[in-house]
Parts: sequence; C-alpha cells; structure tokens
Amino acid sequence: MASQSNTTKEKLVDDEEVLQAVILADSFNKRFRPLSAGKPRCLLPICNAPLLDWTLESLALAGVQEVFVICRSHADQVKEAIKESKWSKPGSGMKIVPIMTSKETYSPGDAMRDIYTRGLVTSDFVLVMGDLVSNVRIDEVVRLHKERRKSNKDAIMTIVVKESGAEHRTRARGESSIFVLDSETSECLHYEPVTGFPSTKVAKLPREILAEHPEVEIRNDLIDCSIDICSVEVPSLFQDNFDYLDIRRDFVHGVLTSDLLMKSIHLYVVQEGYAARVQDTRSYESISKDILSRWTFPLVPDDNHPGGHNYEHLRGNRYIAKDGSVVLARTCKIGSNTLIGPSTQVSENVQVISSVIGQNCRIGAGSIIDNSYIFDNTVIGPNCKIQRSIIGSSCMIKENTLVQNGSLIGDGVILGPDVALSPFERLSVKRSIFAHTPVTEDSDEEDSDLEAVEENQEQIRGNFNLGKDSNALVWPRGPPDEEEDIEDVENYNNQRFMRLGDDASDIFSSDAGSETSEEEETSSDDETDSQYDGRSLSVLSDASAPSDIPSFPDDTEKEFQAEVRQSLERAFAEGHSVDNAAVELKTLRMASNVSLTRVRQAVIAAIVEQIPLVDSGAVQQREKIASVVGRWGALIDKIGGVDAVETVGLLQAHCATSSRMPLFGQILAALYQDDIVDEDDIRTWHGLPASKGEDRKPGPETESFKKCWLIASHMIKQFDDQESEEDSEEEGESEDDVTSKPPGTAQQQTPSEDEEESGEEDGAIHTPLQSSALVGEKTESPSPSPAESEEDDEESEE
Amino acid sequence: MPPDRNAPYNRTVEVLASKLRRRQIVGSRTTALETLLVLRQVVSKARFSNFEQLVEIIKTVGHRLVEAQPKEHSVGNTVRKVLHHIREEYQTATRGTSIATPKAQFSIAKFVLQGQPRKQITSALKSENRGTLKENDPDDPDSFARSLKPVLMEALQDVLDELETVYDNVSKNAKDHIHSDEIILTLGMSKTVEAFLKTAAHNRNYTVIVAETAPSYEGRQMAQSLSSAGVSTFLVPDSSIFALMSRVNKVILGAHAILANGGMFAITGSQIAATAARAHSTPVVVCAGQFKLTPLWNLYHEYAALDFGNPDEVLGFEEGQLVDKVDVVNPYWDYVRPELIDAYITNDGDHPPSSIYRLLKEAYDDEDTEL
Repeated sequence: MASQSNTTKEKLVDDEEVLQAVILADSFNKRFRPLSAGKPRCLLPICNAPLLDWTLESLALAGVQEVFVICRSHADQVKEAIKESKWSKPGSGMKIVPIMTSKETYSPGDAMRDIYTRGLVTSDFVLVMGDLVSNVRIDEVVRLHKERRKSNKDAIMTIVVKESGAEHRTRARGESSIFVLDSETSECLHYEPVTGFPSTKVAKLPREILAEHPEVEIRNDLIDCSIDICSVEVPSLFQDNFDYLDIRRDFVHGVLTSDLLMKSIHLYVVQEGYAARVQDTRSYESISKDILSRWTFPLVPDDNHPGGHNYEHLRGNRYIAKDGSVVLARTCKIGSNTLIGPSTQVSENVQVISSVIGQNCRIGAGSIIDNSYIFDNTVIGPNCKIQRSIIGSSCMIKENTLVQNGSLIGDGVILGPDVALSPFERLSVKRSIFAHTPVTEDSDEEDSDLEAVEENQEQIRGNFNLGKDSNALVWPRGPPDEEEDIEDVENYNNQRFMRLGDDASDIFSSDAGSETSEEEETSSDDETDSQYDGRSLSVLSDASAPSDIPSFPDDTEKEFQAEVRQSLERAFAEGHSVDNAAVELKTLRMASNVSLTRVRQAVIAAIVEQIPLVDSGAVQQREKIASVVGRWGALIDKIGGVDAVETVGLLQAHCATSSRMPLFGQILAALYQDDIVDEDDIRTWHGLPASKGEDRKPGPETESFKKCWLIASHMIKQFDDQESEEDSEEEGESEDDVTSKPPGTAQQQTPSEDEEESGEEDGAIHTPLQSSALVGEKTESPSPSPAESEEDDEESEE
Repeated sequence: MPPDRNAPYNRTVEVLASKLRRRQIVGSRTTALETLLVLRQVVSKARFSNFEQLVEIIKTVGHRLVEAQPKEHSVGNTVRKVLHHIREEYQTATRGTSIATPKAQFSIAKFVLQGQPRKQITSALKSENRGTLKENDPDDPDSFARSLKPVLMEALQDVLDELETVYDNVSKNAKDHIHSDEIILTLGMSKTVEAFLKTAAHNRNYTVIVAETAPSYEGRQMAQSLSSAGVSTFLVPDSSIFALMSRVNKVILGAHAILANGGMFAITGSQIAATAARAHSTPVVVCAGQFKLTPLWNLYHEYAALDFGNPDEVLGFEEGQLVDKVDVVNPYWDYVRPELIDAYITNDGDHPPSSIYRLLKEAYDDEDTEL
C-alpha cells in the first residue's frame, strides 16, 4: 500500500487540458476463437470482470477523464456494456465515448487513421488496447512525456514497458520484442519484433546507433504493455503512411528507421506497478494468475474488483464471493489461488485447484477443476475433469466428461456425457444458436468462418463423439492446409506459443526469449565477442553481423520478389506508363524495406521473363527484345538510383539461371542501345572478378554464368574494334555519335538514326538476317549463343 | 424516506468512495479527515425533517464509504464518531425542554441496561415533546434542519479539531513515558510515534533503534526523520530485533486500528517485535489516536491480517521463473494480540488493552457498530 500522491493528478486536472485516452477495443486477430465468436474479446471476463472494465479501471487510476473506445466487431455489444457499466453513472469521473469504426478497419493502423479522420483527440493522449490489466501510474508517464515535449517537439510517443526477466509467464513468447534504448535519455533507438516461430535468432541494429550514442541498452526482457502516450501528430502520421498496419511492427519501426520524419520515440521502463495485455489464451492464464496472486494490487478481487463484486480474501489467495451466496459442500477442496464467483454452488468431493469460477455456476459432485477458467452460468456435471481449459458462459458439461489441456469451449455448448476431449480441442455451438443475437452486417466475417467450420464439420469431426445431446461444432485442429503467410505473427506454429497449456516444446526445445541476460550483456559489452548461437537470440550489430542474410529474410525476399513480379505483370498486361510502374515499385520497396539492389534484380528478372521466346528465328527474337526493352527498359533506372554496372551484373546473374540465357547478349545490346547501360559500365562490370564467376561453385549455372561473361567479352572486343575504327576512319564524327553507334547496334540499326527508329526498321531487320543465317550454320556447336553469332557477324562484316 | 440517490452531496461521496477503492487516499488519519470533510458536506446539504432521517442519511453515506474500502477502519470509526456526537448534540438540544429523565436507580436487575446508558435515554426521549425543536413540521419541513444544523456543524468541528490535534495530544505526555538514557525500539513510519518521540526529545536525551521494517522499508524514513530532529538514532535490519531486545528499555509501536479486544493491527513486523519484547519482558507501548478505536475483532487470519499487498516488494517481478513456482504472501498489517501489549497512549489518556472495550462504549453508540 504505497502512499500514492494525489497531487500530480490534481495538477494535471488543474492547469492542463483534459487527459484523453483511446482504447482499441478490438483485437484484430482471432486467437480467442471460438470464445470470441459470439462476443467481442474485450468483454470476455478475466477473474469475473470483463477485460474492458479492467482497462477502464487502469485508466481511471491514472486520472483519465475522457475515453474513446474504438470498437469494430460486435460494436453494439460493447456499446451496450459501456452503457450498463458503472462508468456511465454520474460521478464516475470519466466520460466514455464508444466509437464504431467501419468493418474495413482491419488493423490498429486503420483504427488510428479513423481516429485521425474523426478528429477525436485534441491533445496528447493515452493509447491502450482493450485488454489491458495494469496498475501503473500512467499519469506519471504522461507528465514525463509532456515535460519532454516541452524541450523536444519531436518526441512523439512514449512506450510503457515492464521489466520481466528473461523468462516470465506473462511475457508473450510468440510475440515479443527487442528494444534498443539510450541509457541516459531512455530514447528508443531501435525496435525489432521477435516471434516464436519462425524463431528469431538474429536482430540487426543499424551501425549509426552505436556511433551516435555512447551508451545503449539492448533489451530482450521487457514486456510491451501496449500503453503508449501519443502526441496529437501520431494519428496523422498513420494517415500519411497508409501502409502502417501494426503500431509496433510498422509504426514504431517505420518512425525509427525513417530518415525523413526525424521523430523520436521514448521508452518508460516501469519499476513499480504491473501492466500486461491479455493478448492470447496463454497470457489469459498467466494474467489471471497474476491477479489472483495480487501482482496487480490494488486491482485485486477483494479490493477494487472492476466488476463490482465483493470477494473475501482467505489464506492462500482463495477468493470467495462475500455476499454469502456461495455454497461450498463440506467435503469439497478449494485449493489456493482460486476465485469463486457469487451464487456458485460447489458440490461434495469437488476439487478446485488454481481456477476461476464465474457467477451462478454449478459444479457437480466429484468433479475436478484444475487450472481452468469457467465463465458465468455454466453447469459442470458430476465426475468431470477439466484441465487447463477455458469454458465459456452458459455451457453444460455433462457427467464423466474429460476436458483436457488447452481446450476452449465456446458459450452455450452442451457436451457429454461420457466424452473425453483430446487436448487443444475447440468447440462452439452451431450458428442457429446464435440466431437470437441480432444478425448485423458486422458479423459477416465471423459468420463466414463459422460457416466454413460448419461445412467441413463431417470431415473435421470424423467419428469423434461429443455426447448424445451435444450441440457442439468442432473447430479445425492442427495447422491449416495452406499457410498463407509464414512470416505473419498469426501463423499456426507461432500461435502455438500463444495457446493455453501448450509448451510448444516440439517446435523448439529451448525457448526463444529465454537466453539469459548474461548472453546479451556480453554481446552488448563487447561487440566483437558476440556469440552466434543458432538457438539463442543474440543481438548482433551490423558491424559484426555476417554479410550473408540469415535464412528467414529469404522468405521476405521471396515474398517481395513475388510481389514485384505481380505488380510488373500487371503493369505489362495493362500497359501502365513507366512512371506509374516505377512509383508502384518504390512504394513496394518502402513497404517491404528491402535494398534497391533487390528491386533492381526483381525488375530485371521480370523484364527478361517478359521477353517472349520466339522459335521462328533470331530476327523476330531480336525484334521482341527491342520492343520489350524499349518499352520497359527505362524502368530499371527509374526505381530510384542508377547503377548500370550492377544492372549488367544482375542481368547476367538472372540470365544464367533462366531459360532465356541465350538472349543475354541481345538483351545487353538492347539495353546499351537504349542508353540504359553504356560502354564504360559494361567494361567496368566485365572487369569485376565476380562477373567472371570465379568465386562461384562449379555447376551448370556457373557454366552459363561464365558463358554470359564470354559473350560480353566479345562485345567489348567489338567496342575496341569499333573505337579503333572510329579513331582511324571517323575522327570527324562527334562523340555523341560514337556512343550511339556501338558495334552491337551497328548490326541492327544504321548509325546516328536512333531518333527515327520506326523509319529504320527495314535497316534493322536487314543485318540480323545475316546472323541468323550464321547461327544456322553453326548448329553443330552444342549451345550456340546468339552473341557468339553476333561475334561471327562482326567478323563477317569485317 | 429513503435517502435520495441524487442528493447534492452524492457526487462528493462517490468521488471519495472511488478514491478509497483505488487507494488514492491511504493512511488512517488521512482517510478519517477526508471522511469527516465529506460528512460535513453531507450534513450541510442534506434535507431532513426529523432526526431519524438525518441519522439514516449519514449511515447510508457511511455504509457506501466503508464498503468502498473495508480495510481502512478509520472511515467507519469517523462515521460512528460523528453519529455519536450528533446524537449527543440532539439530546442536549432537546433535554432542556423535556421533563428531566428520572434518575435511574442502581440495581443489579438494571445492570445490563445501564451498560448502554445513552441508548436507554434516546429511546426514552423519543416519545417526548421536543419543545422548540419541531420535528416533522408539516408547514415548514426544513425548520427542524435549520434549527439543528448550526449545532451539528459545531459537533463536526469538534471531531475535526480532535483529529487535527491528535498528534499533539498523544505526545503531550511523552516525557512521562520516555526517560533519559533509555533505549527505545520502534518500527515503521507512524506519524503518531514520530511526533511522540520528537516531543520527548525536547526534554529527554535518549536513543532510538529503528528497525528497517521490510518489505516497505518505512523504518528508513523514520530513522531519517528522527535523526534530522536531533534524536540519536540507529537503523537496524529486522533480523536483529531479537538480538537487540535485551538492551531495549521500551518498544513503542504505531497502530493501524485498535480492536475491541485490545489487540491491534499494525505494520508488518510489529508481531515479531512484540513477541521478542515479551520474551525479554520489555514493555510494549502503542501510540495511537482514538479515531483508531474500532469496534471489531480480528476474524481474518491468525497472524498476518487484513490487507495483502503486492508480492513485487518481496520477490520482484523480474524473477520470472520463480513467479510461476512460488506463492508469495505480502501482508501489510500484522495482528498483535492484546497479551503482547502493555499500554495504549491515546489523545485521551493512557489505557491498558483490557479497558479498550470501555473506551469503545464511550466513543460510539452500539447501534452503529454495523454500518
């Protein structure tokens, strides 16, 4: 019972404007399905009070006066709940405004844009999620934030984090983060999301951080409480950057890595107080336990229960509702860390161990409730065993039923009798049961999911028996057939880290974030000594990180390549202008945060693949190349930065692995002709050792790689010849003409008539005819390349 | 008439209730003061046409406040005290006009009734004519309130004065309890004890040993405060309390609440200190204001009592792996049995634990025990 000074709060009220808070009451994910199928997650009870009430209580503790609750799914239920709650009574000191956003709000980023367009916030505000449980003095953080803003207008955000140690039940394993902060100013310098699967092994820090800040802390032991003190411009930044989806992964990362914004984000490491988010079923369990073991004091069931219940706290953290309505049989055993709601009846020989039982429940004789969470009005029959599961409200579990580890049972399910569920089973009722709830448009998405479950019911359920009167649907088990996006936090394996009762030991024997802090200390103390342990999460700065990219960025890479290809295909097919295509690529690059080289590589690959292979003859082939390169070649230089040497190198690399390998010479010539590369570039590239494929592993690809280089050698020889020719014969000609009249093009077009390309087509066709003839002659060689034939061409011309 | 839920004072009551619930106001004296200020507002704004209505209003407000924070006993105590004073004022206001109550003759048959003298009188008065104080006047329903209110405000002011001067009154006899060259042991940071020791330091030259009082470590604050006031002070860890006890002349403790049986709730560690003192037959003296007198018994736990705080102070949240495996109990108060206490020094004289019940009888009316 620390003496809490009231003065700061009053000061806030007196000389400053109203303190506003925004609650994002939607989870934007489906981790609680099927419990969240019929009601929004923020209304799920934890320790017998809706999550939203815990959040509001946390805010009230901080002296927040105006709260906007942004709701999306089941918005009407949230609105109703707020209206009914004690918060809408006069004298609550808080004004709560529910805001319904459109169904198109799919991410916190969209919600922020909505906040901006509605112009809700007028000053610095507190941004929290609708599933927060906290007793942190947020007003203190707000005061610090405002003070900082006075001296530094660019400090736009303060993130509240809680120190937790390397391994902690409340620390999300599936979704945590590394923060790099300046020890002195507690400015957040870098943010790196960490996922459980694919396990994040390496975090990269920009080198500048170490150069600019004498002392940095790299921390992997912080719980991100998702309490952000934001300035007014934060929503507008979301508006400006329409691709920001997640507040951490996109916004924080974006702001910190942006060279243009020049904004800074600070961290506030909570020393006193508790804050955590119920972001998945695993944290639901750990936060329930934290509340019961009083970490959230004074926000504990017997003291300031947000649901307004009165509990009596007995030895061993047993909480029994105080109004005398609880009936406990003489022979029942109530273990420690247990909460039993009002009007609940517990029959003979029941064992309740570390569990939470809601209001009006009935537990039948001889049942065992072990580490489970049972919502209101549920009836558990005799001799059941419920282990580490969550059971929704108004359920009926009939006698002799076994509900194992990690099962989630949705509202209103009837189960049993004599059924044994396998672990991690998820059950809900059929949709018709939901019919009494008003069918609104907003349930569309939920319905579609449920529909899918219903349709595939036979297949999912198999011959599994749920009891004779059961109305339950079994939700799909195991990983989905096609994992749409392995990089996403919501992928199946990563979800397992968030699942109640799943230790995910088969994914991973040692724990992602569990590496002890010593390891991190060594790597931050001594940058050169950093251990590169495959299993552990070591922090490497760019200075010491090996230059090859670890395996997982490859996936981002592939994904990005695919995106580029798609967008280019679209551009090709729909005939976009080069400029538009370039803009699209630039955005894509920003969004995926990849280097320019990758974009160039992708563009070149796409252009090369765009060239149709023509069987009918080299003339047509050349024509095709010229037209594609002429139309799209300019794109290579428009994507932001010109590096012709690299272009050639990438072209070589791509052609070496592609079926269009024989076209290398011609494409290079076409590029040359369109001024995308010039002679010097080709020479420079040609001189690079890498271009010869010297350090490559032997194999067919390297063969073709070398072949490409040879082709280019011929071309350079041509240049040389041409030059000497020009030197001797055409000395009078201007330099412009020299460059625009390379030997390679000489075959295709008459010199100095680039600007009249169309008119000169006849001339262009004329010379290749010879080369094709020559190719025909040379068929005995195993794979005659057109460039070789060009070389022959040249010779023949001479 | 049921008390009006939309009465003008409702908002202040609600604000205080939520502050109590959220522990934004803690400490027995602070809560007592805040309660009193709210009650004063209630009395001045409330509308009532007879005495029962007024009592009902105050009781309802008191009930809401107590329910908001049942662990701050001084809230309830203050409400009881106010009710008691109001009744007293009402009686003096009415007695002048009523026929003098027949002096009850002492008889063993009436002994039990005499234990509750006031109640008897109150009920006796009810049926009588109240002269100038007209209750339930149909012409002017406010006349009763108007004539009674100034007296009531005075009564409330008396309670307020008592609260405000409680430290001075407790410590006015300090020099009689502490003698020169004595060694005093104390723990925690009780404002009453602090004032008591500082006052004694004006006349006596003595030494104080302050235990750190884990896990709140309030003893450090106390030691700082005392030594800056010129008292020779030692700060010792809690573990050495027993070892040092043989040299200590007197243990002086603060209290959170004094219970009806003469025991008390006091800061964690008091139980150890008192037991150690008993082992050495060292006297244990408790300094507390009378507003801490609580007509309750300890029905909760045998030793640790009442209020269990955040395990953070004991274990530390960052000890992630332990958090899962260890159940930590961090009681804020200890229950100290009456046998371990030698005397209470209050603002109204010194009392042994065995006479606390009598003090309670005098301070509060029996009908208010349950608010």
